Amino acid sequence: MESIFLTINGQKVACLSGDSILIAAEKNSIPIPILCYHPDLKPHGACRLCLVENEKTGRLMASCVTPAAQDMVIQTASPRVLHHRRNIVRLMMAEHPESCIVCSKGNHCELRRIAASLGVGDSGLYPMPNFPSYEQMNPFIIRDLSKCILCGKCIRADHELVVAGAIEYNHRGFKPRPATLYERPLEESICTFCGTCVSICPTGALSVKNTAYVGTPDQETDSICGFCSVGCSLSMGVAGQKVVDVNPSKSRASVNGATLCVRGHFANDYLNSPARLTRPLVRSKDGEGKSIHAPAAWDEALDAVVMKLSAIKREFGAGSVAFIGSSKCSNEENYLFQKIAREIFETPNLVTLSYDTGQALAARIDARTGGMCRVNPLAELEGARVIVVVNADPGRSVPVVDYHIRRAAKKGAALILVNPWKIELNRWAGAWMRPDYSRPSGPMASDFLLALAKGLVADAGYDRGSVEQATDGFDAFYDMISRRNGIAGEAVDAAVRLMKNQKIAFVIGADTLCYPDGAQTADAVANLLILTGGIGAKRSGLFVLLPESNTLGAMDMGMMPDHLPGRVRLDDGGNIGPDMEGFIEGIESGRIRAAYIMGENPARSLPQPDRVAAALKKLDLLVVQDILYTRTAAMAHFILPGAAAAEKAGAFTNLEGRIQMFSPVVQPPGEAKADWEILAQLIWKMGHPEHYQSLEKIRQEIRRLVPMYQGLGSHLQGWIANNPKGGKPAFAMDFPPVSVALDAAHPFIARLSAPRHHLGGGTRTGRSERVRAYGDHGAVEISPDDCRVLGLEVCGKVRLVSEFGKIERSYVQSSRPPKGMAIVPMGENQNDAMGLAGLSGKNRPASFGWTVSRVGIEKI
Amino acid sequence: MEPKPIDWEKLASIIETHRTRKWNLIPLLQEVQETFGYIPPESMEPIAEALNMSPAEVQGVVTFYAGFSLKPKGKCVLKVCRGTACHVKGSRSILRFVQNELGLQEGETSEDYQFTLETVACLGACFLAPTMMVNKNYFGRLNPTKVSSVLNQYGKSKEDDGSP
Repeated sequence: MESIFLTINGQKVACLSGDSILIAAEKNSIPIPILCYHPDLKPHGACRLCLVENEKTGRLMASCVTPAAQDMVIQTASPRVLHHRRNIVRLMMAEHPESCIVCSKGNHCELRRIAASLGVGDSGLYPMPNFPSYEQMNPFIIRDLSKCILCGKCIRADHELVVAGAIEYNHRGFKPRPATLYERPLEESICTFCGTCVSICPTGALSVKNTAYVGTPDQETDSICGFCSVGCSLSMGVAGQKVVDVNPSKSRASVNGATLCVRGHFANDYLNSPARLTRPLVRSKDGEGKSIHAPAAWDEALDAVVMKLSAIKREFGAGSVAFIGSSKCSNEENYLFQKIAREIFETPNLVTLSYDTGQALAARIDARTGGMCRVNPLAELEGARVIVVVNADPGRSVPVVDYHIRRAAKKGAALILVNPWKIELNRWAGAWMRPDYSRPSGPMASDFLLALAKGLVADAGYDRGSVEQATDGFDAFYDMISRRNGIAGEAVDAAVRLMKNQKIAFVIGADTLCYPDGAQTADAVANLLILTGGIGAKRSGLFVLLPESNTLGAMDMGMMPDHLPGRVRLDDGGNIGPDMEGFIEGIESGRIRAAYIMGENPARSLPQPDRVAAALKKLDLLVVQDILYTRTAAMAHFILPGAAAAEKAGAFTNLEGRIQMFSPVVQPPGEAKADWEILAQLIWKMGHPEHYQSLEKIRQEIRRLVPMYQGLGSHLQGWIANNPKGGKPAFAMDFPPVSVALDAAHPFIARLSAPRHHLGGGTRTGRSERVRAYGDHGAVEISPDDCRVLGLEVCGKVRLVSEFGKIERSYVQSSRPPKGMAIVPMGENQNDAMGLAGLSGKNRPASFGWTVSRVGIEKI
Repeated sequence: MEPKPIDWEKLASIIETHRTRKWNLIPLLQEVQETFGYIPPESMEPIAEALNMSPAEVQGVVTFYAGFSLKPKGKCVLKVCRGTACHVKGSRSILRFVQNELGLQEGETSEDYQFTLETVACLGACFLAPTMMVNKNYFGRLNPTKVSSVLNQYGKSKEDDGSP
């Protein structure tokens, strides 16, 4: 692109050819008022506020849609321009209700700001209010279209950024308004309540519902979202030491740009929940001898915790103390926590709740790719030409990743799905392979993926030279894959055609290991990545849709039974601790006597919650450090109140491998403290020589010991590093046949998955007033075929019975699950759905893990 | 009286001839409008699905153009011209007369789906002012008597139907 020169307001300026006049002015810090322009959206030219005058021709033009040209002479604020601009604003104001004083847009209203700056107070025109407003029943968004100025930002954000297609302009002339299909309220449309339109709306036409505070927050501070592993940058509005408003951060380097999801945008009101822990609590007896949690001073509580933990270690040995870390806590906190476990208590018992549903998968893929595929920027996913989605529903688990895939698909990327169930992305699917786990002989995900590799090898659809160079043992792989009897079919052929000689981005669901062939599926995906030359390539990558904000960071900090910090694998037979099931068994058998749980709620989030709760009750000592009074906390002997991400400083590592530092937005409630401060005090009280008085001290230690975390702490963002020793990806060769045994009593598969508005078990999102008011009672989705077989009418209730438990739920007929599968939403009804799943699944070969279960369905 | 039920098979075959070609949205809608006399609202979802658009986008296009209607129209669509030339020649009275005769306001359809009354800004036949169209036929130099006879001419088929 060449530079061109023009004159704006008498000032010689330069810009690139193709830039609009608006961008040329912006680059040179010349302000032009805008309402409908947004840097992430295509210019639209709807509001006409950015009018400028071409001095040579005397023409007025909208600068956002007019390309700058060589030697143009532009006036952005000549009397003529100002006259027209004022008139445009006056006309808008004449149509606008006079409700500024109660409008929750407050000082963020761009219309009001521009009117003020142009000196338009009273429009002086006859008021022409344009539309009756209408009330919505949903608890998230208020649409008051009488305040709509038709800038089209909400519609364009919906189409270009989120690619949902929920709203569109309807009608023309004086009548147009953004409308949903059949002009129904939002909750009856395909709107996902991501709230992107609310944040982007320049007026009060779209605003957040159920706010405790109406108006402009006192201050706004950026933070990182503490829910899923995307790690969106948030701008949190604070009034009176409370977070009252959440919007996407204006930072241009964020993962999410102008978008968010329903959780990030609306569920952070859980921060102000009355269930927040505000002071240390100690189990004691009240006057009548009833067991209660009594408040205690920090020193008192911590001294008692240190004393009791040490006493148990002395009496029963190092293996008697166990630590559950958290994928919700920061890198620094998990580092300190594993240090307490490994160094001070010398115990191998440390794990997080996302070990089985994410970390084990990420570690497996890391090993397969030789540690050379740790950084996977989502920008490469959006730029990919071919995307393969395996065992995943990104639209519900990690919506912002889903937007990236949708944008890629809209631009023409081929989308290949290997999913038993139907998802919204099916709309763009070029090929859909449907694994079937409900029949013993049904094809599985790994079968399809192996067939794809076989197809690519047979069609020579890969670059043999570079694959041989990048890996060892290609010949053996070639023989193995060519000799296999792959499944054939139209979908496989179509997919192979799309994948041939392309760089491919792979997206894999976090709970892949919960399927009987999970390990094979992960290996087959890694094989395809290596085969297609995707490691380290552009428009490619392997995206593991991890469940929580710091699942990857907790793993990198060694908060895992089989890995030390920096993904250093412990040798077999060494000091590898138990996984979560072994953990619970250890407590049941009396081997583990004390547990310290940081930021997790196993009695709600784990399978067989009642078994877990019974085990936790057996402990001699249970210390829970958390932010909410959870079911697990209720059983604890000591409760230490920690802080949420918005209330402390730290760093999360998102699913891309991006390390994102954040600072506190508000103080923790009451006497609660940042979790790292609590841990640092514990370490000090244990008599350890290190005194971690600042976060930087912990970060220094991490940088020293974990070479892949050099990017931690120095800037707002950094990236983890690939295997610094240099690794070589290796093809997985071992694909033993897997078969699923039939179980006559439990003929269906239940897939437990969180709906969009809940994260995992819903411990936090379930405390959000808005999410609670949404009133989705988690109806089970059953396929029409199964409904017929089971004699289920249009609606009603069913009982789902598994080997481990049973639940009763309402159901809906849905085309999403295939025949033989029911989709059971997690998070609702105290997350009772987890009662269907077994803790042990992953370790029993060819069986189902935590989020998949065999069930029988009965009509009630 | 109910409008004619939608022939879903016919709709499906129209959609099929335009499948996956996004720029075919307007020709497709025209064909549906032509065949059914309106765009059945239920057809927007299958149309969107076939063209890989969102149904709301299809609705945006349908509601934008006056040539598309989401409501069933009568067998005879009257378009009374309200352009300048016709206005000067008294088209307001013509419109009032038609309204009284049919008992319909602009944009309304009679209960028996015989007549739909619309106004247009200009029919491009100013030399015939005041003028109106019934379906594809022009009627010019109108006066109340002439309008009556036109309405009778088109109303006749209604009586033939034997409906009340």
